[in-house]
Amino acid sequence: MTKPPTDEDIVRLARQAGLDLPAEFMPELIEAYGHVRQMVDRVSVARPRGDEPAHVFVASAFKPVTD
Amino acid sequence: MSEPAFLTIAEASRLFAKRELSPVELTEACLRRIETLDSQLDSFVAVTAERARAEAKAAEAAIMTSRPLSRLHGIPYCLKDIFDTAGIRTTAMSKLLADNVPTRDSHCLEKLAAAGGVLLGKNATWEFAHGGPSWDVLFPPARNPWDRTCSPAGSSSGSAAAVAAGFAPATLGSDTGGSIRSPAAACGIAGLKPTYGLVSRRGVLPNCFSQDHAGPLAWTTEDVAILLQIIAGHDPEDPGSVDVAIPDYASALTGNVKGLVIGVPVPWLEKEAPPSAPTMAAFEAALDVFRGLGASVRPVALPPIEQFDDAKKIIAISELFTIHAADLRKRPELFGASLRYRIIAGGLVRAEDYIQAMRLRTELARSLQAVLATVDLLMLPTAEPAGKLETVPHSSLFTRPSLTAAFNVGGNPALSVCSGFDTRGLPFSLQIVGRLFDEPTVLRAGDAYEKATPWRDRRPVL
Repeated sequence: MTKPPTDEDIVRLARQAGLDLPAEFMPELIEAYGHVRQMVDRVSVARPRGDEPAHVFVASAFKPVTD
Repeated sequence: MSEPAFLTIAEASRLFAKRELSPVELTEACLRRIETLDSQLDSFVAVTAERARAEAKAAEAAIMTSRPLSRLHGIPYCLKDIFDTAGIRTTAMSKLLADNVPTRDSHCLEKLAAAGGVLLGKNATWEFAHGGPSWDVLFPPARNPWDRTCSPAGSSSGSAAAVAAGFAPATLGSDTGGSIRSPAAACGIAGLKPTYGLVSRRGVLPNCFSQDHAGPLAWTTEDVAILLQIIAGHDPEDPGSVDVAIPDYASALTGNVKGLVIGVPVPWLEKEAPPSAPTMAAFEAALDVFRGLGASVRPVALPPIEQFDDAKKIIAISELFTIHAADLRKRPELFGASLRYRIIAGGLVRAEDYIQAMRLRTELARSLQAVLATVDLLMLPTAEPAGKLETVPHSSLFTRPSLTAAFNVGGNPALSVCSGFDTRGLPFSLQIVGRLFDEPTVLRAGDAYEKATPWRDRRPVL
């Protein structure tokens, strides 16, 4: 488990994401991110380099309709 | 004949063929019930009465002079208010889309219209099919027709409530983590999340591109099969659409499940996400019905439910944030609090984390298919019976394990059917999950179960 981010860390991350939120919305972001962080920590495991994600590009899906 | 609005698609189409009922009579019966009773349920956000009457009249004339276009010809249906309807407002219950009038129909609507269906209107949902129930969005949340103080679940809430209430025999919803199956379960009807890519999502407002599924809800599995026959098929305008042969789903409904092998994910149900004792008792009784019909039941071990939930939610909030980023940055106050809470942290998820979740999805989907190679179907409860319609903690999305989301991660077809009623008269539900593109076996099992049990004989009273 990584070290939990502080509220200030979360505000900084939000600004980096372009979220300059009104103060009234910051508590909900901070609380929600706490839950997200726990999930992210759980999926952050070492994987082989060739381990492909589920969304690899399928070229046939983009063939022009008239083909 | 009983109240025409309570007829199934199959029953109504047979009566049309015998000239014992007309599309106009059926449509008027549905419109009458909506007009007089939907103020109790708020299941519709828009009623297209004028269009419905015109389509019903046209269908009636066509059926009188030639063969029907399909079993849906002349049958009224409605759509979750995230399906684009040209010239008709499509809001997703959001203040952000209060004035959104699409110029083109969704692919599914094109198919339903071409099959001769009669559009009654648009159904209430959760905001953008994700955040709810909410009282700070464009329309109030739908209510459960079995008990109006209870929730119809979400996000295809109005769709399921409308079918159960006898406002329409058919509707379409969408399912990203259970949004067809959970409302179907809460309202005691049948709802199918088809295999990912079987039904086009073109013209359906997105929730999470890689896990969104459009699908049918109806009173019976037989009707679900009729609807699926119409909407399934390749659409080159949906990059996720798959070009596969579409079988005759109705012919799969043989009533025979003898020899089928049913897997039950026992560790999920005993340790990881144990349902209540009454829900498990209803589930065990449903398994006994299948045993009595000649199927066998065996335990199976799936990957931990928490892994499915983690993969699903990280992917979903990342895609959701991207979809809504511009509005979240410029006018966050226009979102309902529930949706905003559930997606805003998606902006802080790193690309690395999203890709890791996608890698986990690959692993989980493969594991799920490997288990399904050893059995014909998986079965488990869809959800607990409906709870009260009240504000739920926004964090529940992150903290509550889901018995449905795993099959969005895997992309597998999953059907919810009614499996009895609790002591309050609220429906229990059974979830039937199949191999990829094996909707015929899923539907066969659901149909056989419904025909072997009395649950389709009971309707909510409004």
